[in-house]
Amino acid sequence: MTMKDFRKTLRKFVVAALFLTLAPVLRADSDEMRFLPSLQAALEPFADPGSQSAPPETPPPPETPPPEPSQPSLQDLGFTPEQQVGSVEKQALLDKRTRMLKIHQRLGLITIIPFVATLATAGGAKEHEGGSSQRNLHAALGLVTAAMYIATASYAIRAPKIEGMRTRGQIRWHKALAWVHGVGMVLTPILGAMARNQLDNGEKVHGIAKAHSTVAAITVAAYAAAIATVAIKF
Amino acid sequence: MIRLRCLLLLLALPAIARADGQWVLERSTLAYHVSHPLHDTDGVSHAARGKAVCRSGECEVLVAAPVKSFDSGDSNRDLHMVQVVDGARYPLVSVRLRAPEAKDSAEIHCDLQIEFAGKTATYPQVPFTVTDEGGERRISGTIPAKLSDFGIPPPSLLAVPVKDDMPIRVDMVWKPA
Repeated sequence: MTMKDFRKTLRKFVVAALFLTLAPVLRADSDEMRFLPSLQAALEPFADPGSQSAPPETPPPPETPPPEPSQPSLQDLGFTPEQQVGSVEKQALLDKRTRMLKIHQRLGLITIIPFVATLATAGGAKEHEGGSSQRNLHAALGLVTAAMYIATASYAIRAPKIEGMRTRGQIRWHKALAWVHGVGMVLTPILGAMARNQLDNGEKVHGIAKAHSTVAAITVAAYAAAIATVAIKF
Repeated sequence: MIRLRCLLLLLALPAIARADGQWVLERSTLAYHVSHPLHDTDGVSHAARGKAVCRSGECEVLVAAPVKSFDSGDSNRDLHMVQVVDGARYPLVSVRLRAPEAKDSAEIHCDLQIEFAGKTATYPQVPFTVTDEGGERRISGTIPAKLSDFGIPPPSLLAVPVKDDMPIRVDMVWKPA
């Protein structure tokens, strides 16, 4: 396979990876799209008349009847009316946060597949063993992994932050490990491309490019550990 | 003479009608427990407030706590809990019950009414242990609550939902008001 063919194949893989990655992103953000109100307005005549009610601005009153005069009340306990009344806006923010973090979780698990596939093809891409097509496959899988990784990370980064929330517990490790595998996910493909160039030029892999497999291994280990911090209670 | 008696009776009425006694919640631990195949979690709150109004040997009790005061040791999990139980819309969880005013240590059974996540669930004859601790009363027990009692969809981790059972452990110390 010539360099031209390789670039052509690589381009196809990048397009496919971007498509795979962006499809869930677009779907998840669809509830925030600007055209949605006009779409809803257009569909209004077809909607069930019973369902055309505006969303409540304040939470509906609780189902229980008001307490008898002899019964203690929430005011007696010192709860102010502000403490008793909820906020629809805050709930919507929490709902959005959870929705985005669920997608983050799902995409993160799916990303394990190209991660493992990239690792599995690493042996065939080595300088003494690998042919050009095996290196192409390894590089393409690496790109799919990187694209999936970026999509996964974007959901965690863009999820709404809650004011006054102090990070506690194992989630701190999850966030700290993100810095390790995040840096690894930037360095690994760069080092891989350098190694590939050196091999294509008939050179032995040398210099910083030699660290490609080590950096990749650390990245995978940090990624697996980050999943473990939320899945397993230590 | 009759007028005087009527006047005395009227003056005495508020004293007859007044409550036998009132109790306030001094300190408490409320803990919910949820179970997932990968791990179990307990969310604990010490922020409950309570008041009991006793009359003729029976007490009307109200205990309430902010939903966000429950701490499971992980801020992400706690925020998710608040979201899944609509805690921003319904910021308080409250428990109403009618209990006999136990003079000494005893086991009592109470009918509870819990208002949580915008729904109300009733738990009949929940056993509690009452212990007299030098003028204070310690009440402890476990409420056999379930997520489905309040229409709460079970949260999931790695696509596996938690169990429906959510027992709430109660340990409260009351003092006379």
